[in-house]
Amino acid sequence: MFFRMLRGTFTRQWKKLLMIAVTVALGASIAAAMLNVMLDVGDKINEELKTYGSNITVTAKSQAVIDKLYNVEDDSGETDYIPQDKLGELLTIFWANNITDFAPVNDSTVMLDGSEVTLIGSWFGHRLEFTKKGTTYERDTGVTNLRSWWDIEEGEWLDEQKLDGDAFAMVGSALAKDKGIRAGDTITVEGKKSEEKLTVTGIFESGDDDDSRVYTTLSAQQRLSGENELVKKVEVSAITSPDDELAVKAARNPSLLSGDEYDLWYCTAYVSSICFQIQEAIPEASASAVRQIADSEGKILEKTQLLMTLITFMSLIGATLGISNLVTSGVMERSSELALLKAVGATNGQVTLLVLTEITITSMIGAAAGYFMGCGFAQIIGRSVFSSSIDMNGMVAFIVVVLIIGVTLVGSIPAIRILLRLRPSEVLHGGH
Amino acid sequence: MSKVLELKNISKVYGDLHALDNVSLSVDKGEWIAIMGPSGSGKSTMMNIIGCMDKPSSGQVIFDGKDISKESRRKLTEFHRDRIGLVFQQFHLINYLNAVENVMVAQYYHSMPDEKEALAALERVGLKERAKHLPSQLSGGEQQRVCIARALINSPELILADEPTGNLDEANENIVLDIFKQLHKEGTSLVVVTHDPEVGEQAQRIVRLDHGKIVSDKKNELFSEKIKRRDTP
Amino acid sequence: MNTKHKMFVWMVMASLLRRRSRMIVALLAVVVGATILSGLEMIYYDVPRQMSAQFRSYGANVILTPSGDGYINRGELEKCVAEFTDEELEGYTPYRYENTQIHNQPQTLAGVDFDSVLKTSPYWHIVGSLPKSSGQALVGAKAAESLGVKEGDSFSAVNTFEVTSDINTADIPSYEMYSDPETGEMYCDHSLDLTVAGILETGGSEEDYIYISLEDAESLTLSDRGCDIVEVSAAAMQERLTEAVERINESSESVSAKLVKRVTASESTVLTKLQSLVFIVTAVVLVLTMICVATTMTAVITERRREIALRKALGALNGSIIAEFMSECLVLGGFGGILGSVLGYYFAQIVSMNVFGSSIAFRPLLIPITIAASVLVTGLACLVPIKSAVDVDPAIVLKGE
Repeated sequence: MFFRMLRGTFTRQWKKLLMIAVTVALGASIAAAMLNVMLDVGDKINEELKTYGSNITVTAKSQAVIDKLYNVEDDSGETDYIPQDKLGELLTIFWANNITDFAPVNDSTVMLDGSEVTLIGSWFGHRLEFTKKGTTYERDTGVTNLRSWWDIEEGEWLDEQKLDGDAFAMVGSALAKDKGIRAGDTITVEGKKSEEKLTVTGIFESGDDDDSRVYTTLSAQQRLSGENELVKKVEVSAITSPDDELAVKAARNPSLLSGDEYDLWYCTAYVSSICFQIQEAIPEASASAVRQIADSEGKILEKTQLLMTLITFMSLIGATLGISNLVTSGVMERSSELALLKAVGATNGQVTLLVLTEITITSMIGAAAGYFMGCGFAQIIGRSVFSSSIDMNGMVAFIVVVLIIGVTLVGSIPAIRILLRLRPSEVLHGGH
Repeated sequence: MSKVLELKNISKVYGDLHALDNVSLSVDKGEWIAIMGPSGSGKSTMMNIIGCMDKPSSGQVIFDGKDISKESRRKLTEFHRDRIGLVFQQFHLINYLNAVENVMVAQYYHSMPDEKEALAALERVGLKERAKHLPSQLSGGEQQRVCIARALINSPELILADEPTGNLDEANENIVLDIFKQLHKEGTSLVVVTHDPEVGEQAQRIVRLDHGKIVSDKKNELFSEKIKRRDTP
Repeated sequence: MNTKHKMFVWMVMASLLRRRSRMIVALLAVVVGATILSGLEMIYYDVPRQMSAQFRSYGANVILTPSGDGYINRGELEKCVAEFTDEELEGYTPYRYENTQIHNQPQTLAGVDFDSVLKTSPYWHIVGSLPKSSGQALVGAKAAESLGVKEGDSFSAVNTFEVTSDINTADIPSYEMYSDPETGEMYCDHSLDLTVAGILETGGSEEDYIYISLEDAESLTLSDRGCDIVEVSAAAMQERLTEAVERINESSESVSAKLVKRVTASESTVLTKLQSLVFIVTAVVLVLTMICVATTMTAVITERRREIALRKALGALNGSIIAEFMSECLVLGGFGGILGSVLGYYFAQIVSMNVFGSSIAFRPLLIPITIAASVLVTGLACLVPIKSAVDVDPAIVLKGE
């Protein structure tokens, strides 16, 4: 009989139940969309923050330190280098997937048109082969994304894969203006070891010292300076987690951490643990965080996540109130029908059970529909704001289901209390 | 005697069902008619047509010599508002307005609300003291009396009551019937739809419906006697 | 107001006041909707301002340099900085660079205003402390490594310059002066004793320098020539900064202002994304909330079909029923909107205080917008069910249980 009555409600009262289901679905979709966006917003904003350029610099471990440690006098005056063939090792570290871009940056002084100019050799859309666990992979990287703020005033970005050879250059706007260099021109630069004729692919404006510099391919720079297969500095852009207490503690000295703390630190994408892993992979190198970028990133990420969390939280409260509100009014609306049940002898428990079963089934249907709708909304947000899809988190479905059941039951409480107090005679006599 | 209302060859068809089948009826001014019959006999349909809340499929409804069966819904609404007072089985009071306000609602839609007149109407049904009570604070009988006061307030030519005592106990039923008698005396035309013979027998004339047709329409012989009996204690 | 109007107002009010529990349900729905609307609106408009302040942790976004070979003097500097409003201006730091000898190694010393330097370079990580008094230095990590100094150590910086007629030799101890045996020109090796107050770590080129106060730089060089470069940090969007930079370049001949494109261009990219994120989130939440309000209002109206039928049976015309019920809805919407604006302001304030630690800018214009939106949504949400309710046949509704 219970199921018969239940079926009766669903077939005859479907309009009212539909309304409740729709509201629950809307609430659930707000929850699902906001939670999904909230959980993924960190990664998304982090990717956006990559426009600020590299947050880690890798330099050769200073000879000076070694000198001091071993009291060796070194008068050679030679600079310290990282062997170029070791750069592939960067992509073998634990957090390799978080490294979005990296490029060597070699600077040397050359003569251009009778004056001294700083020339930077780097990669531009370089195809790098590297070996990880015996398998060889390929990856494109270069300085292009590490200088995303450059305005190309003339010509276009240097691209190693599109061009034949390596005798190309990009010239800063101030220098180009000074020397009257245009895109397409050929400039002659004289380095310590050789002279090169470089074709200018583009003129850029960077708003800093680079405006009076020349950028060329790494191999051309190495020929000019004689630094064959050697790299002075590598700029790395990595997606990192904001620093917390553990990161601060580890930054002082990783060896002071307890075993568990060390594991947690090593397996979290802190800028300090990525630096540590780079040094493990390339023993000749010393990696350090660019504080201007790393600290600010952390701050902005933290604020954005907090902002989204609070907005999500407030929206959830709103959705919760909306749902429980409608559930309450939905149950109260049926007071006369339920009073009738009591009049023909149903106990309070039976009436309550009937109402709760109906409402819960309705809510679950609404929640399921709402969850998928919410995932759709999350994707719309991801697509339109970040032009990439939002990662779906399985936990969200669970949270939404628990939330909706909770909200529905809580929403029914005032209505059920009213029902229990109902006197059948009053309701049936009161007209409406 | 002039006629308040005349139904000529009225039929009402719902799909295959002939709710009313070629029915004719006239109500004289000041007359008290009871329409009786079992469930499904067409009582409600007839009441709706008389109350201008529904239109017949065919036939004429003549009010004061004017055929209104072809009028627009809006005209019908205006017409019934001006001439007919309705009394319902379920009273249908607005539950957030008190007794006198419920009476005033009818004035409001008809012309102009006037609290004094509304109170006078309540006094007439013996509810002056309860004027400020909400429907939930009134007994069923009291609610029905408010409903009657509301039906009376615009001095209608005809009072149309649908099972007015259906939800009342005997004591309240008698009070309501007494009010009807009073109204009849004052010359108000009354049409009471009922299946309760006790109530029907109070009327001057009893029309019996069955399967959408009038099966009998005769003067109630007991009527004058009853009136006399009650009038002379 | 005649009695008919009075009755109208009274019926609307009675419905709102005497059906308390039902009306609270409806009002709650409207208030929740309006609160979310006004709260998110306020956050949306305040996000660029608040976030922009956060982005200042990237440091200076405008650089002032001398146009020619000269220097920037105090007066010039104040004039340029005045292009930014007090609210925008986070801070500015003048730098002057001096080449000196320390332990017989060439070292670049930077004279800086320590009071403002952390405003333009908030990312500086100092082991030890910032110099507080004269004679203290902040040493870049790489410079410290090459000098072999640590916190608390002392060293002496030597500045060599030619003694010309415009230098007051009275300030110089005589043992520091000597003459070039070949040319006979007088030179001075003026020295300054410094204590390391802290080591600076940034991971950038700042680590190569030694920072001292501007006053110490003046006493080391015996010259108050002004500074070489000024870093300015201003919390403003790129367009506003560009405008200020153009004005400085137009009005001043000796100073040229430049945007730090790395910071400004990236900031505007990220901020635009952030704002559009909040915008679209607001839009989605709002649409859903409004539908929620609409379904609740539909439920509230549908519940009163019988009353609508009764009014029709009493002779009410469709128009007047719609007018009565709509006024009820509009009162509800207006009242809900007012309450929602107030609550929304608190909601935005809570978010702002928690996230940014500063209070939200109060925008009075948002209040009428919220109330209007609330009235509009409630009105539209009621109109549909009312219209369908007045079309019912009163006879059927009044008969049916």
